[in-house]
Amino acid sequence: MSSDQDHLKETDTEARFEFKKEEKSAFETEKGLTEETVRVISEDKDEPEWMLERRLRALKQFQEMPMPEGWPGAPDLSEVDIADIVPYIRPDIETRGGAENWEDLPEEIQDTFDKLGIPEAEKNALSGVGAQYESEIVYQNMQERWEEKGVIFCDMDKAVQEHEELVKEHFMTKCVPPSDNKFAALHGAVWSGGSFVYIPEDTTVNMPVQAYFRMNSEGMGQFEHTLIIAEENSEVHYIEGCSAPKYSAFNLHSGGVEVFVGENAHVQYSTVQNWSKNTYNLNTKRAICEEEGTMEWVSGSMGSKATMLYPSTVLKGPGATDNHITIAMAGEGQDIDTGAKVYHNAPDTKSTIESKSIAKDGGRTNYRGLVHIADGAEDSSTSVECDALMFDNDSTSDTMPYMEIQESKVDVAHEATVGKIGDEDVFYLQSRGLDDDDAKQMIVAGFIEPITEELPIEYAVELNRLIELEMEGSLG
Amino acid sequence: MSTQVHATLSEDAVEQISEDLGEPEWLLETRKDALAALDDLEMPDVIQTPGRKWTNLDALDYETLVDPLDYAQDKDRIDAEGVDVLSWSDALDEHGELIEDHFGSVVDTERDYLTALSTALFSAGTVVYVPEGVDAEDVKIRTTMNSRSLFNYTLVVAEESSSVTILERQTTGEDTEGDQYYSGVVEAVAGENAYVQYGTLQNLSEESYNYQVKRGHADTYGSIDWIEGNIGSRLTKSSVETRLLGDSSESQIVGAFFGHDDQHVDIAARVWHEAEHTVADLVTRGVLDDEARSVYEGVQDVGTEAWDTSSYQRENTLMLSDESEADASPKLIINNHDTEASHSATVGQVDAEDMFYMTSRGVHPEKAKNMLVEGFFVPVLEEVAVDELREDLDQLIYERLRE
Repeated sequence: MSSDQDHLKETDTEARFEFKKEEKSAFETEKGLTEETVRVISEDKDEPEWMLERRLRALKQFQEMPMPEGWPGAPDLSEVDIADIVPYIRPDIETRGGAENWEDLPEEIQDTFDKLGIPEAEKNALSGVGAQYESEIVYQNMQERWEEKGVIFCDMDKAVQEHEELVKEHFMTKCVPPSDNKFAALHGAVWSGGSFVYIPEDTTVNMPVQAYFRMNSEGMGQFEHTLIIAEENSEVHYIEGCSAPKYSAFNLHSGGVEVFVGENAHVQYSTVQNWSKNTYNLNTKRAICEEEGTMEWVSGSMGSKATMLYPSTVLKGPGATDNHITIAMAGEGQDIDTGAKVYHNAPDTKSTIESKSIAKDGGRTNYRGLVHIADGAEDSSTSVECDALMFDNDSTSDTMPYMEIQESKVDVAHEATVGKIGDEDVFYLQSRGLDDDDAKQMIVAGFIEPITEELPIEYAVELNRLIELEMEGSLG
Repeated sequence: MSTQVHATLSEDAVEQISEDLGEPEWLLETRKDALAALDDLEMPDVIQTPGRKWTNLDALDYETLVDPLDYAQDKDRIDAEGVDVLSWSDALDEHGELIEDHFGSVVDTERDYLTALSTALFSAGTVVYVPEGVDAEDVKIRTTMNSRSLFNYTLVVAEESSSVTILERQTTGEDTEGDQYYSGVVEAVAGENAYVQYGTLQNLSEESYNYQVKRGHADTYGSIDWIEGNIGSRLTKSSVETRLLGDSSESQIVGAFFGHDDQHVDIAARVWHEAEHTVADLVTRGVLDDEARSVYEGVQDVGTEAWDTSSYQRENTLMLSDESEADASPKLIINNHDTEASHSATVGQVDAEDMFYMTSRGVHPEKAKNMLVEGFFVPVLEEVAVDELREDLDQLIYERLRE
């Protein structure tokens, strides 16, 4: 295998994201969504009765709920027809629940993840890697020393079997109930795979835990569920990366993420999303933060045809803190509608939201955010900053914040700016001998630096690489 | 609700109003169309987030409340030299063609349910016509509402290179009791290089529901400034809008509100940049006391052809009571990259350090707070070029603080 940094230096970055594999799967549900489909998924996973009941209840809610339409400037979802989506594909692997060793995986899956640099990333002393290829976790490993401390990192299907009580209590109950929105209900009905992370009291996992999801079949949906439970005084950084190769039919990704931040615990959740440009990325991500807990969301949205993603934090305990850092980049044909939601439900809670967006080649970015300060959440403060950069006149950059303040002893500030790439900046860099492309790339890299510096080096490099890739076409 | 028998909403009532005002056929037809459209029209847009509707417009049964044929009011129009400030009937006689050209050209007569209701039933109207090259200051329109419902319409046409400053005041007469409904539509057209400043000071009774739409079109080098002062009413839903249609046109929207008791103030300031080198500046400041609630929406929409746009927006809300609530949503919609745009919004309370400084200088805390609130409005008041409006607004704020 290659040396530590080799995958980061790979010259043919394009190849890492554009390749696709022949489909070869053991089991495929009929297209579309019926009660039968849901029962088959559940049976195939040998799930306990309560999980099947939750799936069926979610299915009923999904059928009754309207599409999230009629919002000002919401992305066009008219093309999203659940009847066209195959919700569940299980790759052809002998062992249910993933292979223990990387080498046991089918060659083409290994190859896919190799190109994405997953095993190398693991070798770089990451705590554990969960890779989801289509719907099931195929490879997962957790370094032994974390396991000894009681840290659990396994795929969600396994967690349903082995950690039933924890999952039963936390799975789509208090945090993201299926009734939250239509796609959360869909997710509740057909979810498959994802990660389960449990950090016991007083434990600090001082290396990032990461998972990688990838869709390879055309016209499929991916509905992975991530559940993170961080007990009192614990600390963890979870990283998720996503990508899918390009296909002509559209894909649907509707993941669910639930995070429970215990008293004085600290969770950071980082994502770099690079779904192919025909994917509808409609996620529901939420954290509940207890007293003095800290939740940090770091999200990069680069791919997908349309994204609607608003990671939210409920600051439930006094003194809880939320930090959001988001970056969105929309190119040709992309509509990246993303932002943040924070509910201040207790006194002395704090939140900061920092959003950066780049629109080019006719792409659209929108910051849509909600800050709610409930009556009684005294001495809370929130600060929202949105900066947008536009490359050309075909692009659109919107900012739509909503602030709801029911408490007077608060400090609320929202600021946003929109501008084009500064001619003077470009001129300055050119006068120092850089060509136009490099100058613009450098300015963009500087623009998003507050985000990249929050990420571990591999992800920061990957994010920069992705941005370079995105920019090459337009600026060449 | 009153049991008094009154005329109901009907085509006959609309015909009656139109006939009383001596209107031409086309206007009657426009009114009838608006009346007929009521069934299909929606209430004006209100911001909704999960679990929260920012303004409830359904609290009032408009069709039952309104009395189409009772539009008792006092109107006091003060004109300036060279400008025609006319009542609706006089204006129809003197400027029939001008009205036909512009009526409904800026505000869609069937924009929503409440606007269409206003189109069908308006009985009080004013036309301000500023001929080419005329500079006029201190046009004043004072409306005192003496009936249960009043529908007001104002048209301002400023010809090329003219300028005009208009001050409108809305109050309620002493004998009026119970729920009332005031509806006002203002259309402003600023021709090439023309300047219109339109200030409103709304101080209606706190039993009244108040719906207003003010919208202007600015031509090349034209400029439209709005000042929106809201002190009265139980519920206000007001939209102030400018379309910058000509190159180098400009607009400023200045807002001030002070809500107390259970008042609800919903204000929107919207600007569309649709030509090159346009400039917009939106500034709103509001104070909330008791159980008052405010809703603010700001929209800066920069179109594809709006090269070299500058657009700024600031909104600040000061909360004096723990029972008050403030919602704000400043929106940017940018379709041209040659744009410099920014917006900001804050919500907070009287600064503790400022209070400490004042009280350490021996100022009584109550007085210190009042001084700081008055000071909070200064940046907005400074933008108000009409002396009378500024002084009156200042006075009303002063009075409210000492109630």
